[in-house]
Amino acid sequence: MSRLRAENLVVTAGSRRLLEAVSVDLEPGALVGLIGPNGAGKSTLLRCLAGFRRPDQGVVTLDGVPLTDLPIRERGRRIGYLPQSFQPTWDYTIREIVELGASRRPGAALCIPEMLRDHELSDLAERRWSQVSGGERARALLAATLIAEPVILLADEPGASLDIGHRFDLMRRMRAYARHNIVVVILHDIERAALDCDRLLLLDRGAIVLDDAATTVAVASDLDRVFGLRFERGSLSETADAHLISKRAS
Amino acid sequence: MNPALRAATRLLPLLLLALVFGVSAGHDWAGPARLARAWEGGADLSTRLLLEWRLPRVLAAGIVGALLGLGGAIYQGVFRNPLAEPYLLGSAGGAAIGATVALLVPLGLPSSLILGGLSFAGAWGATLLVLAVAICAGARDAAGLLLAGVAVAAMLGAVRSFLMLALSDESVSLQVVLSWTLGGIQTPTWSGLAWLAGLSGLAAALSMTLAHGLDLLGLGDGQAEAFGLDTDRFVARAILIGSAIVALAVAYGGLVAFVGLTAPHIARWWIGPRHRGLLPVSAALGAILVMVCDGLARAALPPAEIPLGLVTAAAGGPFFLLLLRRRIRT
Repeated sequence: MSRLRAENLVVTAGSRRLLEAVSVDLEPGALVGLIGPNGAGKSTLLRCLAGFRRPDQGVVTLDGVPLTDLPIRERGRRIGYLPQSFQPTWDYTIREIVELGASRRPGAALCIPEMLRDHELSDLAERRWSQVSGGERARALLAATLIAEPVILLADEPGASLDIGHRFDLMRRMRAYARHNIVVVILHDIERAALDCDRLLLLDRGAIVLDDAATTVAVASDLDRVFGLRFERGSLSETADAHLISKRAS
Repeated sequence: MNPALRAATRLLPLLLLALVFGVSAGHDWAGPARLARAWEGGADLSTRLLLEWRLPRVLAAGIVGALLGLGGAIYQGVFRNPLAEPYLLGSAGGAAIGATVALLVPLGLPSSLILGGLSFAGAWGATLLVLAVAICAGARDAAGLLLAGVAVAAMLGAVRSFLMLALSDESVSLQVVLSWTLGGIQTPTWSGLAWLAGLSGLAAALSMTLAHGLDLLGLGDGQAEAFGLDTDRFVARAILIGSAIVALAVAYGGLVAFVGLTAPHIARWWIGPRHRGLLPVSAALGAILVMVCDGLARAALPPAEIPLGLVTAAAGGPFFLLLLRRRIRT
């Protein structure tokens, strides 16, 4: 079973500390949500976990091996990363995007038809990137990322530009992937985070304030303090219309 | 059928037509009868001239065009910009300094050898300098490389102008340098052509090793790295190979304008952005463009020969605009 571990990460930008001694231990089987206000350090932490950003102090290890010791090719095969926004320079077709994702794992090209089918992209395979909708693009990028079967999936607010239906669909797919893999996703929608995730990490000013089960974090007073809001708690169930209703703190 | 294969079936006859046009064109046009006599091995002087003078030049033009097409496709892939051209990173300025020295300083070596050698060294050396400056400045991204290219090109331009002023006198005309900068194919010997073909074959093989990385780079730096590409190292390798290809083209053809910009653009529009197909198609289009333009350069104003770079720019510009207009409409 894979294990991704960050120990005492410190990241600075000029005189500003983006991450302050952040430690986190991640294992497969739980969808982990990363929440916090803007500038809390969520994207920086995710980029460190992906190996894109080298921390000034501390280390990120995958199965005990520092990410900095892993060749980039190997890292690309084992860690999948979904960015907040993605716009290729050239107007690739959906199939070409998935093919490029498949190139990370030998033999993955054989799975392209199945992957396209699973992500409802078979009929769109020959369409160019500029000719498909935001939801179809998100599915294509997810397919291109997952086709190499990474043991870790890190997603930076992947549903930001999607309508609620497509966002729900994307979260459903990530939940399914999290059953056997490590999945960490940055979310701004606190209600969806509490409903969809098993575990939530609440970040504030570069530090992890809370790291607990989603149901526990959702009722914690730290949530109100960090966001400067007073949340009204409803029932924590999928059928509830809204279990967290935010109001101004003052 | 795969778009690249479909393009290849159309390009092969076009390449052949361009070759025949190039061999026919000149201040004395060779008609079908003379071409047929040459094909059958006729021994008269004009036929022998076609085979021993014009054919190697047309083949050299084709190879120079193919190199420019390849170089342009690599540079556009590296900088992820369809307006990038092969002379972007100082190679034009470096080559011009090499050529200025070769043409104006008596070095006691055969001029064909020294001109090619120094312009190659100047073109490649300038790009290596740009790469070194960008790496030392910690600016390895596309914008950093471009800025380093602009700075080095400005310095090289000043050095070249100084050399031209310092080295020319009544006995040495600057026109010969100016003419070189406008491009022109030297007629090579068969052994020279074999060298050019061999080196170009090697360059083409090396450029194909870049195809997958260029495709990944087209996804953007972040996503390319997420898909396992070491972007810093790959960009440096691609520039080293691309600039060697451009330097080779410059050594044999001077500064031929527009081909390295146009050929990859047309190729991408025709078969799509995947470099496994784009690189060879761009090379073939570059070869066709330069063979035809070199023929026109020889035939348009006989007995004078128009510099090749002027013809490629004059013919390529409107054609390019037409394509752009059609693309915008569709």
